[in-house]
Amino acid sequence: MVDVTIFCFFASYTVAFALDVLRLKRPKRSTWMVSVGIAVAGFVAHTLFLLNAADKGREELLPPLLSSSQDWTLVLAWLVVGFHLFLTCCDRALSLGVFLFPLVLGLIGSSYFLADEPSQLLNAAESARRGWTMLHVSSLAVGSAGVLAGIVLSLMYLLQHRRLRQKGSSATGLKLPSLERLSRMNWWSVMVSVPLLTVGMGTGLVLLLSGSTEGRELSLGDPVVIINGISWLGLIGLFGWMLLTPRATGKQVAWRTLLACGFLLVTVVGLNVLASHSPGFSGHASVSSLGANGDPVETGGPS
Amino acid sequence: MNLQVIYCNHQTASLDIRERLAFTDEEQLADAYTQLRDRFPNSEAVVLSTCNRVELYTAQENAAAAPTHDELAGFLSNFHGVPVEEFLGDLLQHSGAEAVGHLFRVCSSIDSMVLGEPQIVSQVKEAYRQAEANEACGPLTNALFQCAIRVSKRVRSETRLAEGRVSIASVAVGEFARGIFDRFDDKTVLVIGAGEMAEETLQYLQDDGVRDVLVVNRNPERARELAAKWGGNGFGMERLEELLPGADVVVAATGADQPIVDVEMFARVRDGQRDRPVFVLDLGAPRDVAPEVSGLDDNVFLYDVDDLQETCERNRKSRSQEIVRALSIIENESDRFMQDVYHRATGPIVKRLREQWSDVSQKEMDRLRSKLSHLDDADIDQVEQTVNRIVNKLLHPPLEALRDEARDGTPHGLLDALSRLFHIRD
Repeated sequence: MVDVTIFCFFASYTVAFALDVLRLKRPKRSTWMVSVGIAVAGFVAHTLFLLNAADKGREELLPPLLSSSQDWTLVLAWLVVGFHLFLTCCDRALSLGVFLFPLVLGLIGSSYFLADEPSQLLNAAESARRGWTMLHVSSLAVGSAGVLAGIVLSLMYLLQHRRLRQKGSSATGLKLPSLERLSRMNWWSVMVSVPLLTVGMGTGLVLLLSGSTEGRELSLGDPVVIINGISWLGLIGLFGWMLLTPRATGKQVAWRTLLACGFLLVTVVGLNVLASHSPGFSGHASVSSLGANGDPVETGGPS
Repeated sequence: MNLQVIYCNHQTASLDIRERLAFTDEEQLADAYTQLRDRFPNSEAVVLSTCNRVELYTAQENAAAAPTHDELAGFLSNFHGVPVEEFLGDLLQHSGAEAVGHLFRVCSSIDSMVLGEPQIVSQVKEAYRQAEANEACGPLTNALFQCAIRVSKRVRSETRLAEGRVSIASVAVGEFARGIFDRFDDKTVLVIGAGEMAEETLQYLQDDGVRDVLVVNRNPERARELAAKWGGNGFGMERLEELLPGADVVVAATGADQPIVDVEMFARVRDGQRDRPVFVLDLGAPRDVAPEVSGLDDNVFLYDVDDLQETCERNRKSRSQEIVRALSIIENESDRFMQDVYHRATGPIVKRLREQWSDVSQKEMDRLRSKLSHLDDADIDQVEQTVNRIVNKLLHPPLEALRDEARDGTPHGLLDALSRLFHIRD
């Protein structure tokens, strides 16, 4: 398999981002084509890197791609880039890259600080529990991608709303979808991601309580568990509010989504970085906010 | 080879003259092409007739066969029955590179009333299609019009000449309404009054899919007339407050001297539906909608003529800044096109010269073969290759000189010299 490093696709996405920013000033077709070409090259490199990681995980009988915090974060970034490429090819005028690439670069950048070793929980996963583990990590990965989409869509909505209220022209610079479309997409991102995150957290709790952590005890008073729990409750609150308040304005929805999803993202990534680098910090810190990692020292796996 | 155009447009001639010289339908055009072929049998011709311009392009292989300005003006005069003196002063003419540059500017919409407007490209394509259908065009006009369309694409993709809308109605719909709504086929449009601007806006909205149109007017009959035109319903002004809550898009264009929709009325309308965006377009001067309406809630998007005018002006300015870049592309492409045309004129002489020299070398080779029969095939091949190399090396300097001369125009002098020196005959 080709030897690809994280830096390869990080650099590609950085250049693609710079070109997308340039397009705001000079929206040329050639710039768009180069930007998409470089993003595609980065995406291919990213895919190869994940395939290498999957092979490694398979040898160790671990769930492919999602066994360590680093894998998990990179898969998330990969999903976001895939989403970006798809939408960009559907509508060339959209200025999606300026919103999505910072997130992607942030995720990839933070992966440098995350553990690339499998979590204890996953190491301990017997074959009988493998299905549950996969359900746990994959629902969290897709749910988190939905959370990221919620953040980006909310930001786009607020910018578009501001432009329209201030009667600014869209002739040059940022090209955004209509408020109606952004609002609808935002609603669906929350409706899809919250149940998936809930499934991910629920299965994580089941895995944790079923005694895989070899000597470690789950403490509901653990700060990581509490912080993650609050973030999740915030999202559940948003979910319920959106369902029960059909007449909420798009701007209200955008602000609340931005706050709830942004808080979740910051806490999850922050806790993982801390868990990977602070020996004294609770190993329950995990990407998924479950606090079920089981290894207090080094790992920051998905559960 | 010769290319020329005579034309009048919105800058040179009044609408009255343009209307009288226009070719309005296919039948009239077919008739015009028949007469052009009869009058100028050695010329290719393409007529471009739009509401802003009437242009007649002609091209000939032989410059001597080119019709004069007066002959072409005479054709227009006879065809339309308009005395020449009434429009001769409005009729301009270009030939050669200037004619090419003119068509490129027209097709790239630099010459249009609305800079950067896209319709002109399809009008140019249609004009050429008509000429082709009437067998009036030929290789020169074909190359010219194909190149013009390619240049207009280049101008549009490499400059921002076509970016940003520049009419009030198109800005209102294209830059603001589409920023709010994703689709219009499920939206209700309420038109207050029946002004021209409202109609133009309705046209843009209908192009975007609007189906449900309501019109209110002081004169209900007039409202019903306008509504019928757009497949909607018309009402008297007394129904305004009753109809406003159901509208997603409100277009106000009355001649009233004070706001017809005031804050109190709109506050009542918005009561209970602040979650629903409403796009209010006030095209009245003075305003038909109180400006304070905009502050009622976050989902009221109110735009008046000044707001839109500002965007139009900004877009116009932004387009004008691109003219220099567009003209540079056009100049570059015109030069290239003319070089191709000039070079093409040297083609027949070059071909005959090559053939003549090739014949001579072939005859000499045949003689050599018969005299030196002891040579085997490999030796003969070697000799033949040497002779060909000598011929090519001797031909190279005159052909190179011809190519250089063709950069600035058809090199008639050199072509004549070559013909005489090497006895090249037609």
